[in-house]
Amino acid sequence: MASPEVDTVKPSKSSEGAQAVKVDTGEEWRRLSPIAIAYFTLRSIKNMAQGAIYAVPAIAVTANITDNIQSPNTLLSIAAILIIFFSSGVVSFFMYRFRVSNQHVEIHSGVFSRSYTNLPFWRIQNVKIELPFYYRPFGFALVILDTAGSAGEEAKIVAVPLVYAHALRKQVLAEHQEHGHQERETSANVNDSGHVNIRAHANNSSQACVEGDPSKRYSETNEDGETILNRRSITDIVIHGITNNRVWILLGAAAPFYDNAFGYLSEWLAEKGLQLNQLVGEQTIAWWQFGLYAFVMLMMAMAVVALISIGGALFTFYDYTLSRQDDRYIRRSGLLNKQEVSMRASRIQVISAKQDWLDRILKRVNLYFEQNASIGHSTNELMSPNRLIVPSVTEDEADELSQEVMPESKIRRSDYQSISKRYILHWVIAGLSIPFVVGAGFGIYIEHLDITAGVTFVSVLLLGVIALRWWRWGVASDDKYIYVRRGRIGVDYLCFEPYKVQQVVVKQSVFMKRRKLATVQFVLASGAISVPFLPEDYANELANNVLFEVESKRKSWM
Amino acid sequence: MTLGTENETFSNAQLNAITTNENTSASDIPQLYQLNLEAISPRYRVINISLAFCSAFVLIMVASALRYQSFFVLPDPLVIAYPFIVMGICVLGCLWTTYHFFADPLIKYALREQDLSLQSGLVFRSLSCQPILRVQHVELKRGPIARLAGLASLQVFSAGGATHTFEIPGIEVEVAERLRQFILNHKDVSAK
Repeated sequence: MASPEVDTVKPSKSSEGAQAVKVDTGEEWRRLSPIAIAYFTLRSIKNMAQGAIYAVPAIAVTANITDNIQSPNTLLSIAAILIIFFSSGVVSFFMYRFRVSNQHVEIHSGVFSRSYTNLPFWRIQNVKIELPFYYRPFGFALVILDTAGSAGEEAKIVAVPLVYAHALRKQVLAEHQEHGHQERETSANVNDSGHVNIRAHANNSSQACVEGDPSKRYSETNEDGETILNRRSITDIVIHGITNNRVWILLGAAAPFYDNAFGYLSEWLAEKGLQLNQLVGEQTIAWWQFGLYAFVMLMMAMAVVALISIGGALFTFYDYTLSRQDDRYIRRSGLLNKQEVSMRASRIQVISAKQDWLDRILKRVNLYFEQNASIGHSTNELMSPNRLIVPSVTEDEADELSQEVMPESKIRRSDYQSISKRYILHWVIAGLSIPFVVGAGFGIYIEHLDITAGVTFVSVLLLGVIALRWWRWGVASDDKYIYVRRGRIGVDYLCFEPYKVQQVVVKQSVFMKRRKLATVQFVLASGAISVPFLPEDYANELANNVLFEVESKRKSWM
Repeated sequence: MTLGTENETFSNAQLNAITTNENTSASDIPQLYQLNLEAISPRYRVINISLAFCSAFVLIMVASALRYQSFFVLPDPLVIAYPFIVMGICVLGCLWTTYHFFADPLIKYALREQDLSLQSGLVFRSLSCQPILRVQHVELKRGPIARLAGLASLQVFSAGGATHTFEIPGIEVEVAERLRQFILNHKDVSAK
């Protein structure tokens, strides 16, 4: 069945793409490419798997009791289920129609509950193009049309040729631009090629963005006319895999195979002459031998975990690009499924630059742009639309990127106002003292001094962590931004614009008041940021200034 | 809306020092500690203390009913625990009452032209300030007991999320409604 054809005739007014793809499908309803059947089938399997996750124990028990996993009946029923899914995919495919005409996207979909979506171009906030791995060899794409920001209100055009997807996106975004900035658009020639038009826009906004820092320019653009801000090489992603625990990306997907994998692993170890059971069960070997074995095992386990983590990082971040189109930042990455997360610059509430201890050694930074936390859920940290991550950039790149988003910001600075030492005292008294006295006293009472020693050791460790936290925590501000530094062993730097604050809280206990200390908390749409045990005057001044900024600038936080 | 009329409207909830969007020097920035704080209704404390008494009483009654009923025999440990349970309930009830006795009069709020503030807490004092510009919606919450006492809570929601909902508890209904109206009429909210 015909998917929108690639039209090589002269570009009409509505198809201002360089590839000259006709976006408008006319009055006629279109059907998707047949590859969509694969998408629908997989989607219904996925939905069922998500729904049936609670039934897994029951099914497993039944399978165990009847013990007929290998029997023809089981295979038959699995085949039947697969056929049912496939036919539901086929039916969904036939029930799905769409057309793009007259600046509207219209979609008829659904089998039992039919739904009709009509989206005018100007209501579409964002167009995402995703490439599931089974689409990629055939050059198809999944187009996701985002409306006003709520996650449930997306419309999907399930399978269209990639060129068409790009052309559609270009046109929708161009329409969006025209709608939003009609007054700004003075001489841009609409009949001109879309490339030039969009690039003119990009330059406009880049001028607005990096005003005051003209030395820095990003010259590279991609085929959509977006300015490429950052790419991550495989080396970078491997570093990211080592410094960050991305184990769960792969382990989560591999969960059903754990049992088998463990079986193979112990078989393989047994072949190599290592008997796990023997090691644990019998006291035949010397303690240092056991220690050595344990050490070797630990090292091997760490190596395996690191490898899995690198795999996970590659899986999500392969071919990472961060680009900017007008006022929008877009990140694309993924090994099998290419995914896209985009964020309006004005929606970014906080930039956070996070460095773990290993990152500090390797001088790498994970940079996050965070927006409204109430949109969507925190199901998948890396793919969530609330956070845009730039993995393992160098410190200079982190500075450059944060200045791109928040011009003239300077997150690494020396004038952080540190918090009072009473923070340590507070946590020692409020948190540590009682467990320590109880634990240590109990050890002495029952005459097991090892318990006392253990409790003391843990308490000293915790004390060290508290002291580090005190040492890291600080706040600074300049004319435009507020900076917070915090962390324990690693360091996080946060930077936000005071006018985006939603609420300000100043907290003070009776004891803090006596010492003229106060905790200040800024509530942003992306979450609350607090700095404890600041000098009272400083905290009040900060709070007053921020409130004044919010109430006098009267700028939108979105 | 001019300031004068608001001042008249808010004889109860006094309108505080004004924040304007004129360019002022740093020394002119309105200060939080200069707020003219207004106490909430004294009936709020009465409600809380009587609630504490009532719930302690009900819990003790339930425990006693279980202890002295004749339908089934309680296991021995429970019978032994009974006086301790009653004592525990009494102690908790007393603590609850004492806390409200001292903490509730400290709950104070203030309204400025551009923001709402609330001070609360006995040992840990907090002063939170909610710019009206950032308000997304306002709700009046009235439970059955608060309705009897003619009180209401004013909840102000911002994009900061549910955990940071700004709430002024225990104010007279008229005041709450006037506050709500003030926020709704505020040009920053009504403009949306």
